[in-house]
Amino acid sequence: MNQAAVELDGIWKRFPGVIANAGASLTVRPGTVHAVLGENGAGKTTLMNCLAGVYLPDDGTIRIDGQEVRFSSPADALAAGIGMVHQEFRLVPTFTVAENVVLGSAPSILDMAAINDAVAALAERFGFDADPERPVWQLSMGERQRVEILKALWRDARVLILDEPTAVLTPQEAVELGAVLRQMVEEGRAVVFISHKLDEVTAFCDEATVLRGGSTVASSIAIADVDSGQLAELMVGSSSAANPGPPHVGVPGDVLLDVCKLTVTDSRGLIAVDSLSLEVRSGEIVGIAGVAGNGQRSLTDAIAGLETVDSGSVTINGSDVTTAGIRERVNSGLAYIPEDRLGVGLAPKLPVTHNAVMRSYRTMRQGPMLSWDRAKAFSQNLIERFGVKVGRVDDPLASLSGGNLQRLLLGRELSGNPSVVVAAQPTRGLDVAGVGAIQNLLVSQCDEGTAVLMISEDLDELIALADRILVMSRGRIVGQFDPRQASRAEIGEAMIGAHS
Amino acid sequence: MKRLVLARRERPTRGGQPVAFLFGLVFALIGGALLLTISGDPVFDTYERMWDRSFGSFDTISATFNRAVPLALVGLAVSIAATMGLWNIGAEGQILFGATAATFVGRLFPDLPGPILIIAMLLAAALGGALWAFGPGLARAEIGVSEIITTLMLNEVALRLIIYLQTTKWKDPDGFGFPQITARPEQAKLGTIWERAHLGVLVALAVIAAFAWFMNRSVWGYELKIAGSSPKTATYAGISMRRKVIGVMALSGAVAGFAGGIELSGSAVRLSENISNGFGFAGIIVAALALMRPSGVAVVALAFSALQVGGLSIQTLGVSSAVSTILQALILFGAIGAAVLSTYQIRLIERKVTA
Repeated sequence: MNQAAVELDGIWKRFPGVIANAGASLTVRPGTVHAVLGENGAGKTTLMNCLAGVYLPDDGTIRIDGQEVRFSSPADALAAGIGMVHQEFRLVPTFTVAENVVLGSAPSILDMAAINDAVAALAERFGFDADPERPVWQLSMGERQRVEILKALWRDARVLILDEPTAVLTPQEAVELGAVLRQMVEEGRAVVFISHKLDEVTAFCDEATVLRGGSTVASSIAIADVDSGQLAELMVGSSSAANPGPPHVGVPGDVLLDVCKLTVTDSRGLIAVDSLSLEVRSGEIVGIAGVAGNGQRSLTDAIAGLETVDSGSVTINGSDVTTAGIRERVNSGLAYIPEDRLGVGLAPKLPVTHNAVMRSYRTMRQGPMLSWDRAKAFSQNLIERFGVKVGRVDDPLASLSGGNLQRLLLGRELSGNPSVVVAAQPTRGLDVAGVGAIQNLLVSQCDEGTAVLMISEDLDELIALADRILVMSRGRIVGQFDPRQASRAEIGEAMIGAHS
Repeated sequence: MKRLVLARRERPTRGGQPVAFLFGLVFALIGGALLLTISGDPVFDTYERMWDRSFGSFDTISATFNRAVPLALVGLAVSIAATMGLWNIGAEGQILFGATAATFVGRLFPDLPGPILIIAMLLAAALGGALWAFGPGLARAEIGVSEIITTLMLNEVALRLIIYLQTTKWKDPDGFGFPQITARPEQAKLGTIWERAHLGVLVALAVIAAFAWFMNRSVWGYELKIAGSSPKTATYAGISMRRKVIGVMALSGAVAGFAGGIELSGSAVRLSENISNGFGFAGIIVAALALMRPSGVAVVALAFSALQVGGLSIQTLGVSSAVSTILQALILFGAIGAAVLSTYQIRLIERKVTA
C-alpha cells in the first residue's frame, strides 16, 4: 500500500495571461478518498485536467503506480486507469443509462440485454439504484452523475477524479455519494475529490491537498488530524500573508444601487436569489463574498437585466429598472463586468474596435451607417487611457492576453461614466500585474463617486478593497462584516455556512 | 505507436481556398478519367467538350455567366442566413414565390414601360421571397421551430401554388389546353450586355457588393456580427436576438426571391415550376464552398455554373447522364475535401503511453 496510485510533481500550466498551475504537486494513495481543496482559480481543475489527459502540462511529471506517463488525450489517461467526472456531464441525453455507460467501449456486436444486465450488476455492486434502460434525459442531475461514475467504473478506472461533484446534488444525494466513494476505495481504488466545501471534505475524505494560487500549500494532510478551521485558513491564506496594502476607505454618499427583496429563479428552476436586499452608496465598494454557486451570478445578472426577476425590485440611480431592458439600465448609469468575460462581455472573434464600441456605437450612427472613423478614434482613445496592450485596433480580440481583455472590458464599461458598477469576479484568473491594474481602476472609479458592487471569491481582495463585505450563501446575505475589524476566519466561517 | 490525426491549423493556409479548388479539380479529373474509361467513353473528348461548352467561346462563356447569376444570389442568400448560424434551405421555394410575385405584378401592369416594369417586378420578387422566409424566421425566433424544416417544407407549398395557378387562374388561354402560365410581358425582358449574358450578371454582382459593404459599414451589420459570433454577448449589449433572427431570414429570403425575379426576366419567358431549376439547393453548395463569405460566392458560383453547363453538354456526346452527374459530384467532392485540408492538417503524431 505504500506505492502511490498517482504522483504529480512540479506541474506547470500556463494559459495566455494566466498561470493556472505553478509547480503544483499531488500524491494520492490507493484506497483513499483524497480531497483537493482550494478557492476558485486556485488551479484545482487545471491540475486534474492534466492528470486526466485533457491538458498536457508545460512542465512537471506524472507518475501512475510509480511509472512515468505522458497523456496526449483523455483516452490515454483512461487506458491508464484514470477516469474523470467533469462538472458538466458528458452524456447523450437520448441514450439510455446502459448505452451511455458502454459508449465508446462497447463490443462491436451489441447484445443490449447482456449489457443491461452487466450495467445493472455493476450499479448494484456500488449500491447505485440505476435502471439501465431509462433514457438519461429523464434523470435528475444526481442520477446523471452516477451514470458518469458508472462510465468510469465500467472502464475499470482505478483512480476516479470528481470535479466539485456535490455542486449539483441535494444534501441527501451528497450523503449517498459519500457512501459510494467509500465502497470504491474499499476495493482499492483511489478517489480524488475536488471541492471547496469543507464540511464535505471532512465528512468524506481521508487526506487533503490544498492548492493556492496554482501551487500546493499543504500536501496529503490526514483529515483526522486537522479541523475545518485550519483547512479554511490554508485555503484562503494565513492571516500573516503579505498584506496587499492599506484597506480602501470610501466616503459613502447617496444610495445609487438599491436591491430590495429580490428573488430570482435560475434556468434549472431553483431559487438562486432568495428575497435578497442590499444597498450600495456613492463612493463605496461593497464586496460580496461567498462560495461559488450560491446565487452570485443570478444576482448580478438580475441587476444587469440578463435574468428575469420573480419579485422584488432593482433601483439604479433613483429609477426603478426591475423590468427595464438592458439598454435602459445602461442609460440609467449601470456598468456591468460579467463573470464570463469572453462568453458574455466580449465578442472574441471580432476585432478590438467592434468590442470597444459595444456600449457606445449607437451614438456613432450616421443614418443607417456606422461612423467607423469615430469608432476607431473611440477605441484608440480607450486603449491609450486604460493601457490595453494591443497591436492595432483591427486585430482580432483573441490576440489579447487575459489581463488586457479585462482592461478593455473594464475600460469600455467605465468610459460611459457610470454611477453604478457591478463587477463579477473582475480579477479572477489574472496575473499579479493585471489584478493590480483592475483593482486600481475600480478604486479610482469609486473615489469619483461611483457605487461599486464587487463579487469575488478572493477574500484577500475583498478585505483590501471593500468598505463593507456581505457574505452570500444559498441566495441570501448571511452576514455583514467591516473588513477593518472582522477576521478572515470569521468571514470564512460565514462563507462555508458554519452558522447555518 | 503512431497515428494520424486531423488537427485544426493555427490559421487557414494563405490562399488556401483557390489552391484547394485546384486540388479538387485535379483529383476529380483523374477520378473522372477512370470512371469514363470504365464506362467506355472517350476521356479526352469528354473533357474537351466540357471545357468547350463552358469556357470555350464568348458565346458559351456568356451562357455560363447567366447560369451563375441565380447560383451566386442563392449562395449569398444562404450565407446571409449563416451569419446568424441559420440554415435557409428553402431558397428553392423563395425563388418560386418571388417569381410568382413578379408575375403577379407583370399581370397587374402589363402595359408599363420595360425598365419600370422590370424594377417593379424585381422588387415584388424580393418582397415575395422575404415573405416566404419571414414565417420560418418568426417561428424560429418566437418558439424555436427549426428553420431547416420550415423553409424546406415551404418549398413544396410554393411549387404546388404554381402548379395550381398553371391549371386555373393564370392558365395561358393560347396554350392549346396545355397547362402553362401566360408569358410575362415581352418588355419585361432584361437587356443583354455581352453576347448572351444579360443585365442580371451586373445586377447580381452589385447586390453582392452592396451586401458586403452594408455588412461592414452599417449599424445593422455591426450588430449582426456580434449577434452571429456571440449570442450571449449580443444580449448583454442590448441587441435583440429575436429581431436579428427574423431580419436575417427575411433578408436571406429577399435575395433568393430576387434571384427568382431575375430568372423570370432573364432566362425564362413565363413562370413555371421549373424556374428554380434546383438553384435553391445548388446555391447551398456554392455558399458552403465559399465558406459562407459573400466575397467568395461570385467566384464559386461561376465555377459551379461551368461545371453544370459542361456536365450537361457531354450528354450530347453520348455520355450517360449518370456518368455526367457522377463527374460533377467528384469535382465537388474533391473541392470540399481540399477545402477541409486548408483549415485542417493531417499530422502524424507519436503516441506514448507507458502504463
